[in-house]
Amino acid sequence: MDIQTILFVTKFETLWFDALASLLDLRKAALEHVVFLNVIEREKVALHRGRGYQKREEIKLREMANIRFIDWAETLFEQGMEVGAYIVVGNLQQQVIRTSEKENVDLIVIGNEKKKRFELFFSPSDVIEILRRSHKPVLVYKYRGNGGSQENKPFQRPLIATCFSNTMRKVFAYLKKLDRIIEEVTIVHVADPGKLQQGSAMAIQKTRLVTRRKLDEACDELTAAGIRATPKVYVGDPVREIEIAARECNATMIVAGTAHKKTIAERFVGGTPRALVEKSAFPTLLVPPDPDQRKQQPRRSTGGNPPQRRGVTHGI
Amino acid sequence: MSKQVLIVDDDPDVRLFNKTVVEESGCTPLEAANGEEGLAILKDQKPDLVILDVLMPRQSGIRLYRELKTDKALKDIPIIILSGIAKKTFLRSQKALTEFGGEAVPEPEVYLEKPVEPEQLAQEIQHMLKS
Repeated sequence: MDIQTILFVTKFETLWFDALASLLDLRKAALEHVVFLNVIEREKVALHRGRGYQKREEIKLREMANIRFIDWAETLFEQGMEVGAYIVVGNLQQQVIRTSEKENVDLIVIGNEKKKRFELFFSPSDVIEILRRSHKPVLVYKYRGNGGSQENKPFQRPLIATCFSNTMRKVFAYLKKLDRIIEEVTIVHVADPGKLQQGSAMAIQKTRLVTRRKLDEACDELTAAGIRATPKVYVGDPVREIEIAARECNATMIVAGTAHKKTIAERFVGGTPRALVEKSAFPTLLVPPDPDQRKQQPRRSTGGNPPQRRGVTHGI
Repeated sequence: MSKQVLIVDDDPDVRLFNKTVVEESGCTPLEAANGEEGLAILKDQKPDLVILDVLMPRQSGIRLYRELKTDKALKDIPIIILSGIAKKTFLRSQKALTEFGGEAVPEPEVYLEKPVEPEQLAQEIQHMLKS
């Protein structure tokens, strides 16, 4: 799956043109089309008692976005790229999904919106909702420097966090197409310390060996595709360890798969990908399973098994 | 029979403005909200003139312009570019696309940067249709 078209979603608050510029090395692969999307939230122009619909405010916001997009588009047009822009009033999540399908994009790029825990309880972040509903990979872009500059190109040294699920195939297929951009990949598996406590030293070593072999196979697959890959095994809390691994490997981005489950609880109790989106300092690329894989997701047992802590789940 | 002018612009307000000017000029307006729709109408109806925006969803005016000017059946249809994108950007982008292996295309007959006065647009429409 080539990345030919990117949907770049911005409110001009957390994501600017330099973020897009850091992704333009994707042109060496297949990128040729960027679609800008700015969603003017309804609350900004409507839903105010006694004031009616504020058409003037809408026009002002549209034109402000239009001026930015024209400026950005000029830069891309001059490089021979195709550019499109949508400025719409509505619900961010719906508009992102709708536009991504209409334009058949290969990657959604969105900034990370900071919400307080209390707010998240009542209304999960837009990013999480988009991840739940989208069939397209989503790159949650984060600026790593304090000044907002982005020196690294996210696809240069990605770190893949894997638990060996079916989504790993999709992630690999996605990254293999980027062999001309990726310098090196680190594949990390974080073992559950709970499982290790139950076994003998021999059993623990065996677990490590089996995991390492699986990682080696994964690395061989990427190496065969021309991408240098290194395996790493960590033990502990997945989010914390993935973050440590990303720092130790000087990664430019974390890549994880998602496995969607349709439960109400998932909206409020996130899994590893959700925690990575909310807590990690690294840009996070989340790849959803194929639609047919989603349908095959087993229903949660009503028997004695403890419920899984998960929303958008850790699933590569 | 009045001449047909195709307006390709994603902004409904701009389409309405252009449509009014086209009607005032005694022509019949046709409308498209993006490059893809525009190309379909062009192939189907072969209008006498196109007023084309550049920055649009689905297919930009830059790509549509290129498709028109490299299509034997459509390349003689005159085009007025009406856009917020600067003319020099448009020309540079065409040059870049040519360098990427595309066919060289001529400069647009008329390039107007938004906003445009209705009198100026009407004058250009009349001029293009006469020539």
